[in-house]
Amino acid sequence: MIVLGSTSEVAQAFVEKALQEGEKFEKIYLFTSSKETTERFARHIDVMFLQQSEVIELDLMKEIDYNQFDYVNSNVLFCATGYLGDGTEEGLYDNKNTEKIIDINYSKLVPVMNYFAQKFESRRSGTIIGLSSVAGDRGRQSNFIYGSAKAAFTAYLSGLRNYLFEKKVHVMTVKPGFMATKMTEGLPLNPKLTATPKQAAACIYKAFKKQKNVVYVLPIWGVIMMIIRNIPEFIFKKLKL
Amino acid sequence: MKPNFIQKVTNWGNFPIVEKEMKSEDSFKKIKDFVINHNEVIARGNGRCYGDASLGEHIFSTKKLNKFISFDRLNGILECESGVLLSDVLEISVPQGYFLYVTPGTKFVSVGGAIASDVHGKNHHAEGCFSEYVIEFKLMTENGDIITCSREENIDKFWATIGGMGLTGIILTAKFKLKNIESAYIRQESIKAENLDEIFTLFEESESWTYTVAWIDCLQKGKDIGRSILMRGEHAFQHELPQNLTKNPLRLKKKLQPTVPFYFPNFALNSLTVKIFNLLYYKKQSKKEVKNFIDYETFFYPLDAVNEWNKIYGKSGFIQYQMVIPKETGKEGMKKILETIANSGNGSFLAVLKLFGKNNPEAYNSFPFEGYTLALDFKVNSKLKKLVEQLDSIVQEFGGRIYLTKDSMSRSSLTNYLKNVQSSKFVSLQHKRIINNNS
Repeated sequence: MIVLGSTSEVAQAFVEKALQEGEKFEKIYLFTSSKETTERFARHIDVMFLQQSEVIELDLMKEIDYNQFDYVNSNVLFCATGYLGDGTEEGLYDNKNTEKIIDINYSKLVPVMNYFAQKFESRRSGTIIGLSSVAGDRGRQSNFIYGSAKAAFTAYLSGLRNYLFEKKVHVMTVKPGFMATKMTEGLPLNPKLTATPKQAAACIYKAFKKQKNVVYVLPIWGVIMMIIRNIPEFIFKKLKL
Repeated sequence: MKPNFIQKVTNWGNFPIVEKEMKSEDSFKKIKDFVINHNEVIARGNGRCYGDASLGEHIFSTKKLNKFISFDRLNGILECESGVLLSDVLEISVPQGYFLYVTPGTKFVSVGGAIASDVHGKNHHAEGCFSEYVIEFKLMTENGDIITCSREENIDKFWATIGGMGLTGIILTAKFKLKNIESAYIRQESIKAENLDEIFTLFEESESWTYTVAWIDCLQKGKDIGRSILMRGEHAFQHELPQNLTKNPLRLKKKLQPTVPFYFPNFALNSLTVKIFNLLYYKKQSKKEVKNFIDYETFFYPLDAVNEWNKIYGKSGFIQYQMVIPKETGKEGMKKILETIANSGNGSFLAVLKLFGKNNPEAYNSFPFEGYTLALDFKVNSKLKKLVEQLDSIVQEFGGRIYLTKDSMSRSSLTNYLKNVQSSKFVSLQHKRIINNNS
């Protein structure tokens, strides 16, 4: 398995869940911008499952030399890379913030995804799982820079799914909704609408086995976003969402 | 949305509830920042202590320190971060033929918490406290330094931290020994006792058993006082197991885990319902003596089978009152305590009696010493304070003490046995309460 964004708690929970369920991987490639934390996770899965893994540094904000990933190949890619950044109130007119959000969630990420997608295409098998966000379903005033980058990523995954379908590669889009993770720690989230990384991982694993196309982690989010998507624009623009 | 880390925090007894800052980090550098930037800090594991021990102004939750570090499968030595739960340890160790040397009555405590409370189990008389099997741990001290503590290195801090209720610093990682087992099952004998005399005799006769514990019906009066069931057990060897268990002796089947869906209304637990529960529990076993094989979860963690069982006590919460009384006067003391409870009408839903063995004098902050220990659950209500005062007096009279991990309202003279833990940085509500009461 190839994991992009390996410090993500959902990614780690997904790896654990898959191993618990008895999935076999020759090796797990853990791509990360934070080597120290990811090495702890690598030791952890070695102790728990005797699973071999390798930690590979990948900083999307730096120049990437793809040649060094030549040997990396697998039948599952899990992409949990993401960056929330500051929301509208604190960060809209901060260009650095805006660029970083767009780069990490979309523009710098997509070439990396493409690099691995090509390997899957030539193998003519495998599953690519991408973590997008409900924030990408419709731009809302509170965090639409993040939302727009995720919307672009959602569209990318949808197109990639379409393109790779004939090549026997499955692409799955996950829209988690609120999750109790590092990204949202300390935010006043409604517990009924918030999934723990473990819950999310269990749901993603189930969807992965069923080869689902688009999944909301908690089903309620599917309903909420359907409503939000269908509010007519002349009303929506007046709402404080 | 700006993060706000102030939240309602409470431990397993749902009493007391505080509104304080609680934060969790997994990078040691960020933990250091947290320690340095706050005046009063206290570490909290999984919040399974009952009272106010892990509550404070700025709570550092070790929940994100949840990784294993190494497992020496040949010698049964495990190293992990302090937020790893005992249930996580068992999940990987049992299928490999290893078990915790010492476990409390729930497997949902963190390794850090087990050290800070120096937890004991049903085998204290035979195998002592959790600390006996701790090889070393890493501790973050007041200035954010990380030191390794063991029997050879930073010895003072090692023993002060064991049972030190988090007042010496934040435990980050720990290395400890596990015991060999051949199966995930326990060979159990349960014996009914009519009264206190009988149960004490049974305890003394059972001293060669590794695990012993008794459940007491604490609403009985007169000649029936101390009516109880003693349970004793040993890890079963493979050759002893009945045929149906020999196929996969180290693996248990997954069980359904019901969850208590909401806080029970206040009237649900009263002396009548407690009486009925206790009667049914006692009568469930019709024979005087039953011998059987049961899985380790049922034997060690019967209450863990129901998630969030603490909600049955309602929103006002409950306390657990656990004391130890020296062996010589143990029976007399227990009798007085049980009489006081029966007369108060404030029944305990769950009363557990155990015989502690000799204490380890090096682990001077540990709760257990040789004698009898009784743990009781009481719902928080207007009469409780008075009952606790009465019980405290009896414990004092008999030279006993109270278990800090469960305490939230006992008198300070019974709970101030901690030594070498004074710190202006690591402070809990419990410690403040004890100190303030003293002055």
